[in-house]
Amino acid sequence: MLLAEQALNGLQYGMMLFLMAAGLTLVFGVMGLINLAHGSLYMTGAFACAAVAAATGSFWLGLVASLAAAAAAGALVEVAVIRRLYARDHLDQVLATFALILIFSEGARWLFGSFPLYLKLPPSLSGAVVLPGGLHYPLFRLVIIGFGAAVAVGLWWLITRTRLGIRIRAGEADREMIGALGVDIARLYTIVFALGAALAGFAGALVGSIQSVQVGMGEPVLILAFVVVVIGGIGSIKGAFVGALLVGMTDTLGKALLPGLLSQVVEASSAKTVGASLASVLIYVLMAMVLIMRPQGLFGARG
Amino acid sequence: MPEPKLNEPILEIRGLRKAFGALVATDDVSLDLRPGEIHALIGPNGAGKSTLIKQIVGEIRPNSGSIRFEGQVIDGLDAAARARLGLARSFQVSSVIPDFTVLQNVMLAVAGASGAVFRFHRPALSDRKLTEPALFHIEQAGLADRHLVQAAKLSHGERRKLEIAMALALRPRAFLLDEPMAGMGLEGGRQLTSILSELRNEAPILLVEHDMDAVFALADRISVLVYGRIIATGSVAEIRANPEVRRSYLGEDA
Amino acid sequence: MGELLNRDAIINLVIFALLVAVALGAHLAGDGFTVTLATKAAIFGLAGVGLNLALGYGGLISFGHAAFFGIGGYVTGILASHASSGMPVVTLPFTIMGSNEMLGIWPVAMLAGGVAALAIGALSLRTSGVYFIMVTLAFAQMLYYFAISWSRYGGEDGLSFYVRNTFPGLNTFAPIQYFAICAVLLALALVFTAVVTQSRFGLALQAARQNSQRAVAVGIRPYAIRLTAFVLSGMIVGLAGSLYADLNRFVSPTMLSWHMSGEIMVFVILGGVGRLCGPVAGAAIYILLEHVLGGISDYWQALLGLLLLGIVLFAPGGLIGIVTRRGRHA
Repeated sequence: MLLAEQALNGLQYGMMLFLMAAGLTLVFGVMGLINLAHGSLYMTGAFACAAVAAATGSFWLGLVASLAAAAAAGALVEVAVIRRLYARDHLDQVLATFALILIFSEGARWLFGSFPLYLKLPPSLSGAVVLPGGLHYPLFRLVIIGFGAAVAVGLWWLITRTRLGIRIRAGEADREMIGALGVDIARLYTIVFALGAALAGFAGALVGSIQSVQVGMGEPVLILAFVVVVIGGIGSIKGAFVGALLVGMTDTLGKALLPGLLSQVVEASSAKTVGASLASVLIYVLMAMVLIMRPQGLFGARG
Repeated sequence: MPEPKLNEPILEIRGLRKAFGALVATDDVSLDLRPGEIHALIGPNGAGKSTLIKQIVGEIRPNSGSIRFEGQVIDGLDAAARARLGLARSFQVSSVIPDFTVLQNVMLAVAGASGAVFRFHRPALSDRKLTEPALFHIEQAGLADRHLVQAAKLSHGERRKLEIAMALALRPRAFLLDEPMAGMGLEGGRQLTSILSELRNEAPILLVEHDMDAVFALADRISVLVYGRIIATGSVAEIRANPEVRRSYLGEDA
Repeated sequence: MGELLNRDAIINLVIFALLVAVALGAHLAGDGFTVTLATKAAIFGLAGVGLNLALGYGGLISFGHAAFFGIGGYVTGILASHASSGMPVVTLPFTIMGSNEMLGIWPVAMLAGGVAALAIGALSLRTSGVYFIMVTLAFAQMLYYFAISWSRYGGEDGLSFYVRNTFPGLNTFAPIQYFAICAVLLALALVFTAVVTQSRFGLALQAARQNSQRAVAVGIRPYAIRLTAFVLSGMIVGLAGSLYADLNRFVSPTMLSWHMSGEIMVFVILGGVGRLCGPVAGAAIYILLEHVLGGISDYWQALLGLLLLGIVLFAPGGLIGIVTRRGRHA
């Protein structure tokens, strides 16, 4: 019973990580850019959702606002700053996007203060559902899993079945060539960046609804998204999906099961603390193992 | 390591095979490099020359086959180890350390060749054990008056010479030169050709080239690589007359 | 490189001398607070010097150096608090007691930093480019979360140890004397970095940074060179962490955070990557900004962000680069 619940939690966590990692890996795959400010876009979506939902009373409007605000912020940032970084080396990209984090965080703090905001879910999305087997599980978490799967399918369709997708795939393979073929690179890049931002913002709104919305919420998630991308392989959406589920499940199940498992071997109170400590580093151990066996990630290109 | 007998090949490649999925880039290639010779490797684009070079220097592992260098099997050695044994290569696109001067570049090669790189206390730039050999090789390569110039500021031809100086600094037992004539104009090409001809006195050269004038002028033997296979090996005259070679690469007027 | 050294050497000396002058001046004026600020600048400068070895000279963009900073801090905190309580740190496999002596703590902090760098570096250096950045960041986060969950030493709240550690013959509580200790260590680290980067090892390191392929072709193994630089870097940053914890008599997981990693990078960038005293200048500027801008606005970090953005986009040589009118890497 408990295992099933934790497994579903892991799945939900994984879906949220996928939303974050997909944008990150897409931007890197197409533009060759590492973007530390991705977490700030997540935060932007969360704040937009909270603000609009509070102002209009409609959670659904808030969700739409999160997508729109994050996409807009992404597009703005891309045109103003990111654009100048494509030709630069990774150190410059890291520093410039780190600077953006500072600007975004302080800006959010100035607008909304340091205290967390809470979102109220509409009645249609709150409450629990009874699953086969008798497990009571929060409806909203199931909705997140659903959204995640829908986005995965949507991205797959976008990449493989649309013209934009073809341009994206071509851009990943050979940036100079698609310019030579007359594709408007600047616009393509802005679209891709805004798409990634929208996904992040959406994730922020969803998670913000379960937990809270506050300044700095994006950074822990960003780092987890990095772990996912390293495990899955840069530039691979499939890798991001598999990696995200792997990380989500490992982290959730690890935190749930390790203290219990350890108490078989060690006495209860130290099992709890040691277990908690070990569980918090479990996904990094997973990442280390992947690095040892396949430094380019599970689905990354070799060399 | 025992000294190789006078006629034993310095470099012996036997049955090398490399496939990337369904694409067979190197198909049972056997080739040797004898002391004192310039052995040219020619063939059309896409024949698999660069894949072959990468296997010889140790950048990629063949699926099967073996390589002997001075009688010693080197299959298990990485590229840096092979360089230290004296397998000196040059790159198709000149590969130097851009911010270093010519002198610093060659000093780096001297240091690498010595195997004594993990030295932390003595300043490298005033170390005579590095500067003296480096200056000697720079002069050998014809760059003596440019030794304090930053590598990034060198002309194309000078960069080629820098690579040769670095190769010499490795105390080479064999050279593997990857299209050294690429991008050279008429005068530069002539200069380089005469440098390469002298180079054979240092160590035998496996010369991968497209420039047929240089090949016919320099080579003692020629091997022809087409679709990953060696279709012919022989003297310049033999290769020029070979009908299959004419058909697949040289053209009927060679 | 030789003929330029004089100008760079002068700039390096001037920067260091300025720092010392500020501290001495403040001490003579009875301004203990400014002496402490100068001490902080020296410590942050030391951390930056350590990172610069890997980042500036080695080209290793590590976003996880806070790991070594925090490890140095925690080593200090743990040893010091155990010295106060009298309880041994561990009893198996043999008993290790706490320590209140800097001369005893520093080697342990440096060793711990070096071992961590060896472990993290050995794995991370199997990757390159963007992967490397992300992986180093992730490993530091791992330690951060571990420290938060380690309730024995304060967890999220951190660990206070109330007495400053001791150094023979000095009153380490006196701000100017503690500054002197930090300044001397900084000077030693600068000399060490200068010697190492001018040695054969330094030549190979800087070659590998610019062109790995060429380094291999002359018989050098970039992995081994880089790992060595990474470990040396970890040791220096570990020492800085120890000094920082001792300054505040407090250590917390914040010292391990990615934000700290970013700050150390900012010290290096502000001053100019790959220049010997760049990190010292950068750290001093950062502390100045924190003090001055922080007085103006609570949101001074946004201004720092704008400054950093400006430097990255328009002045990549850092502020020293503007002075000498040259780009990166002296």
